[in-house]
Amino acid sequence: MIGKKASSGVRDEMKYALFLGCMIPQRIPSVEIAAKKVFEKLDIAAIELQGYSCCPDSVVARLLDRKMWLTLAARNLSLAEEQGLDLLVLCNGCYETLVEAKEILKRDPQTAKEIGEILAKTGKKYEGKVKVRHVIEVLYEDVGVDKIKKFVKKPLKLRLAIHPGCHMFRETEGGDIWRKPKQFEEIVKATGADVVKNKLDRLCCGFPVMQVNEEFALKRNLLPKLAAYQEHGIEGVVVSCPACNVQFETGQVLLRKYGARYNIPCLHIVELLAMAFGYSAKELALDIHRSPVQQLAQKVI
Amino acid sequence: MSKNELIEGIKKVGVGVLDVISQKRKTSVTIEPSIIRQVVQALLEHQPRFVIIAAVDLGMDIELLYHFDVEGKLVVVRTKIAKEYNQIDTIVDLMPAAEWAEKEAVELFGINFSAHPKSGHFVLPKDWPSDKPPLREAFKGVLPEQFCLVAESLVSTGMTAPMSQLMQRKREEAGLPPSPPASFANEKSLGEVREAMKGAEFDKKAGYDWKKGKLRRA
Repeated sequence: MIGKKASSGVRDEMKYALFLGCMIPQRIPSVEIAAKKVFEKLDIAAIELQGYSCCPDSVVARLLDRKMWLTLAARNLSLAEEQGLDLLVLCNGCYETLVEAKEILKRDPQTAKEIGEILAKTGKKYEGKVKVRHVIEVLYEDVGVDKIKKFVKKPLKLRLAIHPGCHMFRETEGGDIWRKPKQFEEIVKATGADVVKNKLDRLCCGFPVMQVNEEFALKRNLLPKLAAYQEHGIEGVVVSCPACNVQFETGQVLLRKYGARYNIPCLHIVELLAMAFGYSAKELALDIHRSPVQQLAQKVI
Repeated sequence: MSKNELIEGIKKVGVGVLDVISQKRKTSVTIEPSIIRQVVQALLEHQPRFVIIAAVDLGMDIELLYHFDVEGKLVVVRTKIAKEYNQIDTIVDLMPAAEWAEKEAVELFGINFSAHPKSGHFVLPKDWPSDKPPLREAFKGVLPEQFCLVAESLVSTGMTAPMSQLMQRKREEAGLPPSPPASFANEKSLGEVREAMKGAEFDKKAGYDWKKGKLRRA
């Protein structure tokens, strides 16, 4: 279990099944470490979902095969249902997949029947009871900015950009697409950092495009964003999605072959919070990052 | 002889008969390639007339459609040969009229009919290179090549990429368990995910070879 111990009387609404996904444990485990520390501080009991698979990814896997995409997503939802807990996700892509799969299975009985029959063969059953919560929603709506501020040891005097990421704008029908991005901004501000906006904040980082056209993704998506950050004197970029994080970090390395040299730190929101809560770069294993996040942490902690 | 007798005779071949669809004037039988001779032997009970073998390049497989006429009604026996194995038994000794049709499939699609009696060109010019069958395309899966590794990992582990040893070491150094509690971490979950892949038939679409534990390649 990550965070508050199960026996400590945590309120039900602060207890979740934590969906780690593929990217965080396999590419940026420092996010896993930071999440653990932040959840512990904020009394969030996050019980790691056991035996989960890839969400699977909301762009590539979904296009490869919709039935496979829905089946794996439904299985992941069923695992949380077995625990009687809502799902807490740390990744925009996982959020989109799990929320959309849930909506499709709710609205399309024929598809739900077909997927249910496949799941039954694996011994699983999905009944549509589980809610999917992005970490941003949990931090803002369940924990609250005021509580977060109480744990900030030393306000982060940093000029930061927020990259909400495309999938963060996904909402159920009639919802406000800016709800989560605005919550994200408030959480970053709670650390004492200045949020510096620019007109390219909504531009995709290019991660899904990389697998089809790397040069296009780097030059048309990532490069303009990096140039805008540099122009605005940004000291770091905060994301809520590990795929965006990987794109910002490996993308800056790959851009060197096109003559563009940038070295802007990029980190996940839970890492920023952990830094603000006083954890050291070493405790957070920030050396795992491929951008100078460690140096950013050393500057402020 | 009734149509039912014909169908029952084919079904008696047993394992390897995958599907039988019977229409008014046509019966379609789908089989594993390994039982082609047994199915033809079952058909011989009904004095069939051999019509043709049609071959279709499906990218990963070549489909062979053996056409027979049984008392004025069409019987089509369909089977797929994996391109990487590329072999099927000849039926020429059972049905001599199939000789030229098999020969044509050899030359145009490069299929090996084991124990086919004749060699040499039949439809192609004599100087046509035997390793360049003109109607055979390069091995090509349904999925775009750049997504094959992702598909292979999804089918085999349920994750988009396998966990590297380097990352396992880094996780341990950082105080985390070497692997997260994901599907690949225990046999039960892995079994469930693989069953889900089979149920969704994504393994077939991706061309996953369960015996080799990887995607099929040419």
